Amino acid sequence: MPKQINVALIGNPNTGKTSVFNALTGLNQKVGNYPGITVEKKEGICKLPRGVKAHIIDLPGTYSLNASSLDENLVIELLLNKKDKDFPDVAVVVSDVENLKRNLLLYTQIKDLEIPTILVINMSDRMEYKGIQLDIPYLEKELKTKIALISTRKKIGINGLKDLISNYKDLSITPCLNASEIDNTYFDKLRHAFPNQLLYKLWLVITQDVNFGTIDRNQVDAIDSFKTKSNADLKRLQQKETIKRYQFINNTLKKGQSIDLSTAKDLRIKLDRILTHKVWGYLIFFVILLTIFQAIYDWAQVPMELIDGAFASLSEWTKNIMPQGAFTDLIAEGIIPGLGGIVIFIPQIAFLFLFIAVLEESGYMSRVVFLMDRIMRRFGLSGKSVVPLISGTACAIPAIMATRNIESWKERLITILVTPFTTCSARLPVYLIIIELVIPEGRIFGLGYQPLTLMLLYLIGFGTAVCSAWILNKILKIKSKTFFVVEMPNYKLPLFKNVALTVLEKTKSFVFGAGKIILAISIVLWFLASYGPGENFNNAEAIVTTEYASSNLSQQDLQQKIASHKLEHSFIGITGRAIEPVIKPLGYDWKIGIAIVSSFAAREVFVGTLATIYSVEDDDVDTITNRMAKDTNRTTGGKLFTLASGISLLLFYAFAMQCMSTLAIVKRETNSWKWPILQLVIMSVFAYIVALIAYQFLK
Amino acid sequence: MNTIIQNILVFTSLALAIWFLLQKFGLFPKRKVATNKACGQDDCGCH
Repeated sequence: MPKQINVALIGNPNTGKTSVFNALTGLNQKVGNYPGITVEKKEGICKLPRGVKAHIIDLPGTYSLNASSLDENLVIELLLNKKDKDFPDVAVVVSDVENLKRNLLLYTQIKDLEIPTILVINMSDRMEYKGIQLDIPYLEKELKTKIALISTRKKIGINGLKDLISNYKDLSITPCLNASEIDNTYFDKLRHAFPNQLLYKLWLVITQDVNFGTIDRNQVDAIDSFKTKSNADLKRLQQKETIKRYQFINNTLKKGQSIDLSTAKDLRIKLDRILTHKVWGYLIFFVILLTIFQAIYDWAQVPMELIDGAFASLSEWTKNIMPQGAFTDLIAEGIIPGLGGIVIFIPQIAFLFLFIAVLEESGYMSRVVFLMDRIMRRFGLSGKSVVPLISGTACAIPAIMATRNIESWKERLITILVTPFTTCSARLPVYLIIIELVIPEGRIFGLGYQPLTLMLLYLIGFGTAVCSAWILNKILKIKSKTFFVVEMPNYKLPLFKNVALTVLEKTKSFVFGAGKIILAISIVLWFLASYGPGENFNNAEAIVTTEYASSNLSQQDLQQKIASHKLEHSFIGITGRAIEPVIKPLGYDWKIGIAIVSSFAAREVFVGTLATIYSVEDDDVDTITNRMAKDTNRTTGGKLFTLASGISLLLFYAFAMQCMSTLAIVKRETNSWKWPILQLVIMSVFAYIVALIAYQFLK
Repeated sequence: MNTIIQNILVFTSLALAIWFLLQKFGLFPKRKVATNKACGQDDCGCH
């Protein structure tokens, strides 16, 4: 027996597959991407009896092996390719006790690939509640496998599943369905053309156009003795296959499963009636949003203040402990404030992810998708666009990748073009710091002005996305038709472990993803802010001392004036002042200009840039927010961050296409530079005009 | 001596930071790791 068993966790969406993965692996898991594509790959290690280890890979949720999306394709490719390093020794198909009939379709397909397969029936704790009884020995006999009846919620049956995995060699590999039954004549020809290959694998190669081993669709077509059928005929055969599978499943469940509806107690219908109601549904969703944004502010305040203070002290401590010099300044004035600028937002971002995870885990998010579908259809989009738009609140890049599920090119293109308007987590630090500077702390009806502003920005983002979609739908003359089906999972209490792992994972990827870029940009910016050409920079001390010789400035004020003079004549100051005429009408100064330009790499870099610039200019032990709040606008003489300039900046970031990675992904998904360039120009011009109007109107 | 070391460290950090940013945003292409040719391993663009 190998010391490590490769296990593939496969299942329909919403069967609790991730909960099974978490229960088996605990914290021994890592999340990455499949090579070359942005589809999440979750792997983990599970310790089995007798010192054996299992390498578990959590495959994307799929309803069948008839792939219609990139995620589903991945599952098929892995199961067909024995040479893949992740090819499973055993497949664990996770099903949900309440949707066994539908879930078994995928199981029977995987079983027919002759891979040792274990059937996991999850959520067994709900059987009594739903009046469900299962005859496990009968099901095991008919489905030709071993069944693990488990409940990840109640932690029941996990050890039994581990035992089954470690004894996977005892599992039968007899298929559930004889592939020849789909079309005897056709499969006979196929068998003669490829005598050494498994028929069902060949069938998948022909119908899915995927490769396995050395055989691909072109090679099948190239065999003279075998002529494949037209696509329409193949589709008909696929339908026949599905019908045959369901006949088998129905016959099996007729004896193996009984449901007594008289004993079932179900709140789901009642809850759905309220939560998806055409008036109450939206009202409840609105109240939930208000609660989330209020909580983000109330709960995160204390840890944020602690982090802010800690970074200011760390910077000062570094200066005191290290020998004086350029490198010490780089660490104390460049790197620490730059990183501190982003770390401070971890509490708020973690709370946002916490709420999203709870909504997803409880099953409520699918109801939100259903509610949004009603709105989207009026704007010419189906609910299929809702999923990318909602996932765009985390990051636009996976959201744009998720549009691959949309069959209609027109709808997909529109969704790709409007998704960057939804408020991604990278905008959050920018919004939070500006809101703190310009929006007062007061409350109305118990709700703070600051959380209300933040929620308004999210709604503006979503509203702009929907309105732009409507306009694009009218402009783009591409004919297409699409449909949308969404599964409504059962309501359930979120599992603490699942929520905690999701929050940890998402926060980690946010911090480390942006952290490396911010670190590098902080170093470059510090250098540009600390060095400069010409007399004005090199003789700053003499120039300022002479200029203020007649004024009675204290030593501290004089040092401050020298630092400001140097910064203004540094490389960054010169660049900033060159772009200042363009941004001056919006109420910004050159420092904000530099932050806007550098944040084109990633929006959150805006905060890190300002933190570095203000830190170079001011040596005081003070938080970055306080330094920014004190700064003055050289043109007006008043404060730099006022309500007018703040709102202008918030609106600029709400609409501008400030993300290089998103542009790259749009180019890749549309296979043309035309769309990302149009997106960049239109969004930037729109953002500029709105920010200009806002500032000129409010100043 | 201290000044020289500190300046060397600053310029090394700067060079590393610039190199990282250029690589991150595609100006220096990353070396590709050889993978098998199966579709999906090295996004063939067929989807």
